[in-house]
Amino acid sequence: MKKFWALFFVFWPTVAMYACWIAPSRGWWFPSPPMSRTGVQIDGLFYLILIIVAITFVATQYVLAYALWMGATKDGGSKALFSHGSHKLEIIWTIVPSFILVFISLAQLDVLAEIRVISKFPEKAVKVAEVTARQFEWRIRYPKPGTELTTEPNPGDLYFVNELHVPTGKPVVVNLRTQDVQHAFFSPQLRVKQDAVPGLVIPVWFEIEKVGNFDLVCAELCGWGHYKMKARIVAESQSSVDKYLSKLEAEQDEDGTKSEAVASSEE
Amino acid sequence: MSLTPSLKPLALIGFLSIGFSIAGCSDSGFESNFVYSDGTLSLMREAQDGTKENPGVKTLVDDHFGNPQHLKAWDKMPVDFGGVISTIESVKESERGGQVVTLALEEGTSLPGSIQSLQFITGLGAGRTVGVAEWNAETREATLEASASEKIAEGDSCAIDGGTVLTSGRMLYMRHCGHCHGTSGDGQGPTARYLNPRPRDYRNGVFKFTSTNDMSKVSRDDLQRIIKYGIPGTYMPSFLLMPDEEHHAIGEYVRFLALRGEYERKLVAELSSDFSQAALDSRVKGGEKKAEIVKELSEFLGEDLKESATTLGDDLAEIWSAADGEEAVVIPSVARVPDTPESRRLGRALYLSKTLNCADCHGIDGAGNGPQTIAFEKNPVTNELYQEAGLHDIWDNLNQPRNLQLGMYRGGRRPIDLFARIHAGIKGSRMPSFKNTPHEDIWNIVNYVLSVPFEAEPGGTGIAPSIGESVASPAAVTAPTGN
Repeated sequence: MKKFWALFFVFWPTVAMYACWIAPSRGWWFPSPPMSRTGVQIDGLFYLILIIVAITFVATQYVLAYALWMGATKDGGSKALFSHGSHKLEIIWTIVPSFILVFISLAQLDVLAEIRVISKFPEKAVKVAEVTARQFEWRIRYPKPGTELTTEPNPGDLYFVNELHVPTGKPVVVNLRTQDVQHAFFSPQLRVKQDAVPGLVIPVWFEIEKVGNFDLVCAELCGWGHYKMKARIVAESQSSVDKYLSKLEAEQDEDGTKSEAVASSEE
Repeated sequence: MSLTPSLKPLALIGFLSIGFSIAGCSDSGFESNFVYSDGTLSLMREAQDGTKENPGVKTLVDDHFGNPQHLKAWDKMPVDFGGVISTIESVKESERGGQVVTLALEEGTSLPGSIQSLQFITGLGAGRTVGVAEWNAETREATLEASASEKIAEGDSCAIDGGTVLTSGRMLYMRHCGHCHGTSGDGQGPTARYLNPRPRDYRNGVFKFTSTNDMSKVSRDDLQRIIKYGIPGTYMPSFLLMPDEEHHAIGEYVRFLALRGEYERKLVAELSSDFSQAALDSRVKGGEKKAEIVKELSEFLGEDLKESATTLGDDLAEIWSAADGEEAVVIPSVARVPDTPESRRLGRALYLSKTLNCADCHGIDGAGNGPQTIAFEKNPVTNELYQEAGLHDIWDNLNQPRNLQLGMYRGGRRPIDLFARIHAGIKGSRMPSFKNTPHEDIWNIVNYVLSVPFEAEPGGTGIAPSIGESVASPAAVTAPTGN
């Protein structure tokens, strides 16, 4: 019976490790490779921690399995060994994990600073839009083409909803605000996540290499529609973004007399 | 698709009966129902349910529109129910005993590659759904399922896989819209009570933010705009990421609900003066016998109402189709006046003028706090004063006039949107239509309104120091320049 339990508690960690091993091939993993520059660094940190933790896990589970098996198979009649603990062992297994944890915390500092500390944002980052989260959509305000984005709206600013166009190949900054409650700007493929706090304007930067469409979802519970508060980030070349913005500008200037339908039906 | 029971003798009107069952929903046994309007429920019982011989309001509405599980597509209505309409060219017996029908190819349509079912609109099989066992797209021959017992004849018309737009519209509506707008489109879904402004009650057939003139209904394009881009400043979100077919299906279902509501409303209007519960009570008190009133009602239902029901249907169909036409759209006769400080000054003067009197509601500085917001007004229907001071819409909700300083425009911020708001008014609300105002004047007002959020000081001339030329002295602007 003892052997059964020993094997039982060895079996499940083995299953867990097997599941992690096959997870990427089964699609139980990241939604896509990281599509932004900082995303690559963040994934690198993730894998670093995963490896450290995996080694630790195997080691500790091995020790546990050994202890269980010894306990299960040792003859019940022998005398017990009384131990008052080993001071040396306790020091070792405190110092070694501390070193590992300090190592991890230092290793991630520069990436964290790059993402979160405004003075460490790339110098060339361009403010492309103000994204205002509201229940339950994403309202976008682009600055008037040729002007800079300011925190106050200006006449000529372009407005849209649920679709954000950004240029690829350069770092871009988005000013994140919210109109009502807390939301979070989360793009899984870009590995970008930032809470939107009422009253604050929070700059979020990212740089996308490849052209593509990415999800923007809300990651802070904001009400009944939180689950479907989804938008689309369209990453395209700068010239395509410019074309899109001119199209938006033309639509926003629509005065009902320019369309072809009207031109053809003269009254 | 399930078979449907045959319809009451309204045989001159073509019908598609669309029944469907969805695996999850029918397992739970949950059935939803359309509600009847307050107007219907205030009629005397016999008017609602009908007499032995003649159908009442509830029956008429159900016959023409069905219930959510079993929607009826009244083909007169300008709603895209989905499905290509075809006619039977010829019928013959197949070797296995079933019927094989050849479908005619209507001009301008094409027959699909696969067909699940046919809904028959006319002929002996009218109102029935028949499954298609085999379909040969080249010979255009459909082998009907052997269990189909209806005698199909040459010349019968049918819809191929009909009703799909409406049923998918219903599913999408219940998932995305029903919790605010309600199952029947009455704006009283479970979350509605927490919202301000309230969600739209479609049953008046009135929608506020349209591009059509003040006498027309909302157009399909307007509904699609609202669904795609939402209404900023309200709880109506944008459904931009939904595929276009889903936008279309939801839009058609909303039209369906609006038409149902309007049809019910108009039927009630025919009956309410003489046959409402209140009228019954006062007539009985006045000495008439209830049995006589019921007899009078029965005659009315049998003769007058039956006729008007058809005319009502025709009128509804006409007015709703017209809304999609070009004549309905508000089109300015001149292009937008250039947005110069001069134009804005003129706009400001018009805003303050006695004829247009915008400041009465929108306030001297556009903050939406004009004198009308603290006046008690009368409800035009009941002729009693509203409990709260201020302006109300036809759904009896308190409306704040737009605060123009915010730069948030619910119906859209394009110049044409603002032009349409002024020219056609906002239907259902106290924003009147200024269709007799010259279009240049409307453009001047639009230019002024668009500049209000950027004014250096409230109540200014709509000019911010960084835009355009220097500000004129305030004295010159306050005197109205006349219209």
